[in-house]
Amino acid sequence: MRMTRKEFLKTLGLGVSGFLCAGSGLCFGQTKGESIQGEIFRKDGPAKPWKWSVEGFHYTSDGRNVQCQVCPNLCLLEPGDRSVCRSKVNIDGKLYSLAYGNPCSVHVDPIEKKPLHHFHPGTSIFSIATTGCNFRCLNCQNWEISQKKPEEVQSFELFPQEVVRETLKRESPAIAYTYSEAITYYEYMFDTARLGKEAGLKNVLVSNGYINREPLLELCKVLDGANINLKSFDDRIYRSLNGGTLQPVLNTLQILHEQGIWLEITTLVVPSYVEDPEMIKRMCGWILKELGPDYPLHLLRFSPQYRLTRLPPTPVATLEKLRDVALSEGIHYVYLGNVPGHKGCNTYCPKCGRLLVERNGYLLRQVNLNKGHCKFCNHVIPGRWS
Amino acid sequence: MTLVFAGLFFMFSLNSHFEKVTLSPQYGDILRYVESPYGRIVVTKEGPQHTFWESGTPFYSDADIVNSEEKIHYALSQLEEVRSVLLVSGGLGETLSEVSKYAPATVDYVELDPNLTRVAEDLGLIGKSPSLAIIHDDGRHYIKGASKKYDAVIVDLPEPDTFQLNRFFTSEFFALAKKVLERDGVLSFSLDYSPNYLSDIQRTKLSELYNTAKQHFRNVLILPGEKAYFLCRDGDLWTDVPARLALKSVTTSYVEGFFHGNVTQERIEELKKNLDPKAPVNTDFEPRIMTALFQEWFAKHGSSPKIFGFVALGLTMLYLIFLRREEYVLFTTGLATMGVEMLVIFTFQVMYGYIYLKLGAIVTAFLTGLLPGALLGNLFKGRGWIPLIVTEIILFSLLVVFFVGISFSEGDIPQSYFLGYGFVFSFFCGYQFPLAAGLIGEKESPAAGCLAADFTGAAVGTLVTGAILIPLLGIQMAIIFLILVKISSNIIVLFPRGRTAS
Repeated sequence: MRMTRKEFLKTLGLGVSGFLCAGSGLCFGQTKGESIQGEIFRKDGPAKPWKWSVEGFHYTSDGRNVQCQVCPNLCLLEPGDRSVCRSKVNIDGKLYSLAYGNPCSVHVDPIEKKPLHHFHPGTSIFSIATTGCNFRCLNCQNWEISQKKPEEVQSFELFPQEVVRETLKRESPAIAYTYSEAITYYEYMFDTARLGKEAGLKNVLVSNGYINREPLLELCKVLDGANINLKSFDDRIYRSLNGGTLQPVLNTLQILHEQGIWLEITTLVVPSYVEDPEMIKRMCGWILKELGPDYPLHLLRFSPQYRLTRLPPTPVATLEKLRDVALSEGIHYVYLGNVPGHKGCNTYCPKCGRLLVERNGYLLRQVNLNKGHCKFCNHVIPGRWS
Repeated sequence: MTLVFAGLFFMFSLNSHFEKVTLSPQYGDILRYVESPYGRIVVTKEGPQHTFWESGTPFYSDADIVNSEEKIHYALSQLEEVRSVLLVSGGLGETLSEVSKYAPATVDYVELDPNLTRVAEDLGLIGKSPSLAIIHDDGRHYIKGASKKYDAVIVDLPEPDTFQLNRFFTSEFFALAKKVLERDGVLSFSLDYSPNYLSDIQRTKLSELYNTAKQHFRNVLILPGEKAYFLCRDGDLWTDVPARLALKSVTTSYVEGFFHGNVTQERIEELKKNLDPKAPVNTDFEPRIMTALFQEWFAKHGSSPKIFGFVALGLTMLYLIFLRREEYVLFTTGLATMGVEMLVIFTFQVMYGYIYLKLGAIVTAFLTGLLPGALLGNLFKGRGWIPLIVTEIILFSLLVVFFVGISFSEGDIPQSYFLGYGFVFSFFCGYQFPLAAGLIGEKESPAAGCLAADFTGAAVGTLVTGAILIPLLGIQMAIIFLILVKISSNIIVLFPRGRTAS
């Protein structure tokens, strides 16, 4: 069969276009259960640093390529590349942070909201965040800032000294680095915390704990408290739900403990991902062995968020069951979060069992503590009490 | 053999137990399974917690104290006296017990799907009260016909990402709601909201809704709770909800202790400051909020339809270059038919508030006309261009009729009109096919080209109208697009270059 030139072109054009159409459908595909770890954004960085840039504090360079050393992602960036967290870029062989002095979220919160129950309860905390996260959690509550580049959002201009000034002006005794992922704006956090400490303010890290040893040790010098999100106790879940790995988070918890930073641990109980009592048992066993029984553990109720809108909220009964598991394993202070009015929000003395702090949301209804001791049996209640 | 087939048919299509078994791995312990005309309802139980799913999405779980308290107390705390309350959906669980704290004389709870309330009542999830009346009706339809007045109308619906839901967030709905409100009554509804950062999309969404509500109410307040709660009233609105509750001696588990940490004055003012006074209003046929929600979906899933759009556009352009004139006519008719089918479906949904029950009838009407149209077209085959030109003008006129109908209709268009319109439109679509094939001539083997043109037009019509034009520009603009497309084919048949007279 002979084909005219017109027919040949027509057939070829249709074939190629059809192939392209079918290929474009691939972008809708996603395989469940696989690692969702973030990727480096190739040639996505700006040509020059902008006003809110600073040279990275922890990185190596061979003069052309750089490797960020802040978090275990260890992003190896060629010139023009942007890190997994979206905040770091390689500009002419130097690593720059684009998240310095440009927080997109600035609020004054109750400290209980972080959540921190044993750290100056009843006080307020000046809370800031820039964009960026080194994880890709499917259930992220703050995805509109954590999964964005600094240039993609509307920001305030608040350099470290201004953060400290604002905190003092609002009479908050502490600054929290929170909402998105503070480790991605490490340089901004570190400088602010240093100035804050000099001004007599406390510094609190609210984080996924995915940070390397050296930068964390540096940070600990200016840190007073931390809430670390231990998202599960299973590397497979970490990879498929969060896009990270477990061991670096455990290392962080150990370092914070060794450095004497007040620590509280949060675990979001996500149905079908993080609800296995056996896993919680193993997690508590690790905490007891490595950190001891005194750091509070917060078990939070999940509600459908971001890409996990087809999961129901965590049943309260599941949370109660996991709380019982943690308490029976030997953790002294296990709290339930996002369950208003539940007795699991209160603090009880692990020795005499009496009610120490009764909470009504962020309000303290009664406090039966005397200089960090149980008012009834004088047992020491660990924490940082004002 | 017949018995085997009958058995299989029963197992796969009639036996709901089979469905329950196959759905269990997805849902867990299924307590109830109902194939409702409005969607598939599945109720699961984990421990003592019930979860209700509609078409695969959870929409209610027990112990949702935060939502129950926020939606009820933010609205009712504004009123001096609460005598009558209208709940538009969302009456399950703790909701009614929160309402009862104000001891209203009547609580009317409107829910579209009787299967939903029946199951909830069976499971004890709707509190029993002599003041409670459950009304099975479309909320908007009920409000439109209601003679009763209410102190508060509380709308608790998911995000308005469909026409069915959007019609509770439009200027038209707010006008209706105001009519059933007592003087200084309060209307409340909510949208999803991220409390720590107001993105551009969120800002657009909230601004559009704020401006829409402002057209009808003197005061509109947005309380940035777990969701953004809109309170609309001609009287004063109070931001210190716990203080109002204390005045009324109403106790709560969530609002009292969490409000001042979450809904701070600073957050309220910052949100208000960020609203765009120039944002367009949201209407039934121009669903601006749906557009924002579509953008949000793409942002959330980190994907963009651009690549697909460009490739599809490229493919279509390439295809159009090689089309014969007759095939182009069929292409535009296929496009217009599918486009108008989309429009009929969405318009029906806007007017009647549901679609699944009637979707089959509408699609059938659009298919039924094809065969008689084609048979008649066969009779006129070989009579030259005139019959084709006539149908072109008829199809164009039908589109204009649709445009005029939705633009100037003051009430709901009768359902039979939709079906009749679908039949007539598809009749002329079918009628054109043999005419166009006849014009090409048997020597050219026209069947494949004509079919391809019709199908490609239908695909483009579905995609462009359903996925781009209606969500982005609204129903009226979509029909204008179809009219323009049909004008192009009219021009081609009326003023052809080098067409020989037949």
